[in-house]
Amino acid sequence: MAVALVKERYQSKVGEVVIGATAAEGGTRTSVVKVGGDSTLPFLHFEGKVENRAAIALEVTDVPPAWSDTVKGQYGDVINDPVAWAKKCVEEYNADMIYLKLIGANPEGENRSPEECAKVVKDVLAAVGVPLIVAGCEDPEKDNEVLAAVAEATSGENLLIGIAEQDNYKSITAAAMVHKHNLIARSPLDINICKQLNILISEMGLPLNRIVIDPMIGGLGYGIEYAYSIMERARLGSLANDKMLSMPMICTVGYEANRAKEANASAEEFPGWGDLNDRAILWEALTAAGLLQVGASILLMRNPAAVKLVQQNIADLMEMNA
Amino acid sequence: MEKFQVKFMPDQQVIEVEQGTSLLKAASQAGIFIKSSCGGKGTCGACKVTVISGEAKSERTGNLSPEQLSRGVRLSCHTFVEGDLTVEVPPESRLQAHQVLLEDANAALLTETSKDLLTYYGYHPLARKVNIRCSEPTLTDNAGDWTRLSIELKRVLQSDKPLTIPLSVLQTLPETLRQAHWDLSVILTDLESGYTVLHVEPANDRPCYGLAIDVGTTTVVVYLVDLDSGEIVDKQGSYNKQAQFGDDVISRIVYAVDSTENMAEIQKAVVDTVNVLIEGILERQSLTSQNIASAVIAGNTTMSQLFLGINPRYIRLEPYIPTVNSTPAVSAREIGLRLLPEALIHTYPSVASYVGGDIVSGALATDMANSDEIILFIDIGTNGEIVLGNKDWLVSCACSAGPCFEGGGILFGMRAMPGAIERVDIDPESLDVKLKVVGKIAPVGICGSGLVDCLAKLRKAGIIDRAGNFQLEHPSQSARIRATEDDKEFVLAWAHQAGGDKDIVISENDVKNLIRAKGAIYAGIRSLLQTVALEIDMIERIVIGGGFGNYLNVHDSVEIGLLPDLPQEKFEFIGNSSVKGARLALLSQKAWNEAADLARKMTYIELSIGTTFMDEFVSALFLPHTDLSLFPSVEGTF
Ligand code: FES
Repeated sequence: MAVALVKERYQSKVGEVVIGATAAEGGTRTSVVKVGGDSTLPFLHFEGKVENRAAIALEVTDVPPAWSDTVKGQYGDVINDPVAWAKKCVEEYNADMIYLKLIGANPEGENRSPEECAKVVKDVLAAVGVPLIVAGCEDPEKDNEVLAAVAEATSGENLLIGIAEQDNYKSITAAAMVHKHNLIARSPLDINICKQLNILISEMGLPLNRIVIDPMIGGLGYGIEYAYSIMERARLGSLANDKMLSMPMICTVGYEANRAKEANASAEEFPGWGDLNDRAILWEALTAAGLLQVGASILLMRNPAAVKLVQQNIADLMEMNA
Repeated sequence: MEKFQVKFMPDQQVIEVEQGTSLLKAASQAGIFIKSSCGGKGTCGACKVTVISGEAKSERTGNLSPEQLSRGVRLSCHTFVEGDLTVEVPPESRLQAHQVLLEDANAALLTETSKDLLTYYGYHPLARKVNIRCSEPTLTDNAGDWTRLSIELKRVLQSDKPLTIPLSVLQTLPETLRQAHWDLSVILTDLESGYTVLHVEPANDRPCYGLAIDVGTTTVVVYLVDLDSGEIVDKQGSYNKQAQFGDDVISRIVYAVDSTENMAEIQKAVVDTVNVLIEGILERQSLTSQNIASAVIAGNTTMSQLFLGINPRYIRLEPYIPTVNSTPAVSAREIGLRLLPEALIHTYPSVASYVGGDIVSGALATDMANSDEIILFIDIGTNGEIVLGNKDWLVSCACSAGPCFEGGGILFGMRAMPGAIERVDIDPESLDVKLKVVGKIAPVGICGSGLVDCLAKLRKAGIIDRAGNFQLEHPSQSARIRATEDDKEFVLAWAHQAGGDKDIVISENDVKNLIRAKGAIYAGIRSLLQTVALEIDMIERIVIGGGFGNYLNVHDSVEIGLLPDLPQEKFEFIGNSSVKGARLALLSQKAWNEAADLARKMTYIELSIGTTFMDEFVSALFLPHTDLSLFPSVEGTF
């Protein structure tokens, strides 16, 4: 008996966001990254178009981070030099983008000035050709200053900058608008706040195709199921033509997965958990793999070995299954 | 224990209390009622008094400033008598009789439902008065007094229903009959289950009355109803004296279950409230309590239980269980109400812990249970009860909107009374403000309708964004938007205009409170609709009840997302539906029976289960809503 393939018809699709600008477009990038644009659920090639491959951005920090040795060990000395580090990420680990996190701006830490921060961004831009994602140190007031300076200094590069949140979105949105960058809109695992923030941002005049949603995921075993269902709702919303949910999604996989005890505790400590190296890799890779299934467009990652696995996973998923 | 004298100023009231009595309690014993929003937990600061002289010991000083403390300001709930004292109770700490909703016409923008339900249910009061003439006993006709009376009554009533007489009435019967020379007026209950003689007196044609009583958390309203004509003869309302034990039902429950004395005290407070109202009415009408034969009380579940002295502890504890939904009638004597001692007090049945008799009563008054159309009945008050349905089904919930719209929890919030700002106009460019004030006097605060209007106008002028965040960098650079130490605010009236020494402002905190209140109501509506899988536009009529409903502007309310965006003509206003339903039951046995049915039929939806309400709530915390397509008439205006 013949079985008819059931295909869902969707009214709409995820918006497409372009990150980076080549010389012809007024920037200095050698490649740009396009994300979003899908007109179906993740990787259901038979129902609609999977427009763009999910992109992986590797995290680089301006001052050496307090990461676990399993991850840091894979980078070696470059961890002390953001420029060399970014280069390694692109050349050796095939990062689609660099996610530059300016933790040196933290007033409780190095308290670097906005100008110093902007300089690091410029240096990394000069060193690599891939597009950049730039985020601050999570001190809202300082970040407003830092990102304004970064946005200005990199005008034309079409960065993805963050983080805009519901009680602090105005100055960073303004910076993105004036200097033509894309913006990360972060909401705490709540589809309604996610939508509200997008409305607030777009009412300031930033076009919808310049916004990327950060749903504030939880890592594997630490609330990933909330993120999973929120992201699924966002994707279903965009396919049902809810314009304020139709943005591509970015996930802080590296940060969340490496926060887990499972990515840090040794086998001596927890014999039942097995080898730490493998476990740490898989913790991050599985977090990413799970979120790919609900429409993650940009994965912010740390562990090069995990990145490799996820790159393969994405390549497999991009194969036609129609 | 030693006793000391406490003198309250400026009342000059002196009372003797035991050492260690709190000043809050001492004041109440002296007949001075002090606000105590937190129920005496020492957290709200509403109960401030000033100790002028004498010895008192404070266990808690809350957030009183050192300057206040040095002036003798204390929290009366946590300050205890240690010697003879003189204490001043400032006006802002007193429970004031405020305007209570009595007239439905007041500023109403909606027309009132007009269907005459009494004609529909049939006129058959729960108590009545009959005049009879018994034959005098003789040596050949030597039946007992009660037999004589009951035979004659049955003949006149033309009914086989059982007829009883309580001992207390029996005890004085022989003399009454003879003094009246067997020419009698008999007041009796007339219930489905039978008649009970409440009172016998010499024949007269004084009317016999009943009371319809709405026991609200904040206010209590009493209607005096002529049981012969069905007319409302008088109305009286005041604040519920239980307010001295907390503003909301939860803090009152906490207070009540603390000890048996507290329970007795809180019950007495509401009984007193009703008694004072009854006395006022009786005096005005030159009546005595002997003339009142029946009462129907409608209140939320907590109010009903506290009124009857039933332990309310488990109402507020998961899984939120009331002791009783349908209470038997009790005599006025048992409760201490000033009616005929044997008169029956009927309490409206409840549905669940947070949907009570006031809502059942209101639903009866809307006639929704006989309607083909789908009706949404909303009580816009602290508890925010909502009922949706028609003759086939009814669902209800309580969305706890909080007291915002009654002025509670808002810096300059107040009830709709003289001095309250009721309309606000803000020039979007200069941010100049025009106000409309009740009574056309200098403004002292802002009432519910003013707050609703204000919210819409703040947004329109770009002073707040859709999430309620203040925009300090407004292009007007107006001095009216300013930041204070811990908040941001907008000046509605400068001190010199307000005739006081303080600017009247609305703060970001106020705005967020209002958004939460309106969000809760709209989310409640959406949650009920989801339960029965209906869309907003399938609602055919929206009936708004509750005190605040009177002053509500539908257009403003839709604009901020408080009410669904439906055509104006679908909205209807019913005023104090609770007391209306109480009167209906008082005058119609059939309506009273139907109320019991209605309460059973109403399905209570527990909003704390599942994700629906929370989801709807968050999406409603936006102006007018996260899903702008739900408010097509508003979308373009912001
Ligand atoms: S602080 Fe005394 S009653 Fe609230």
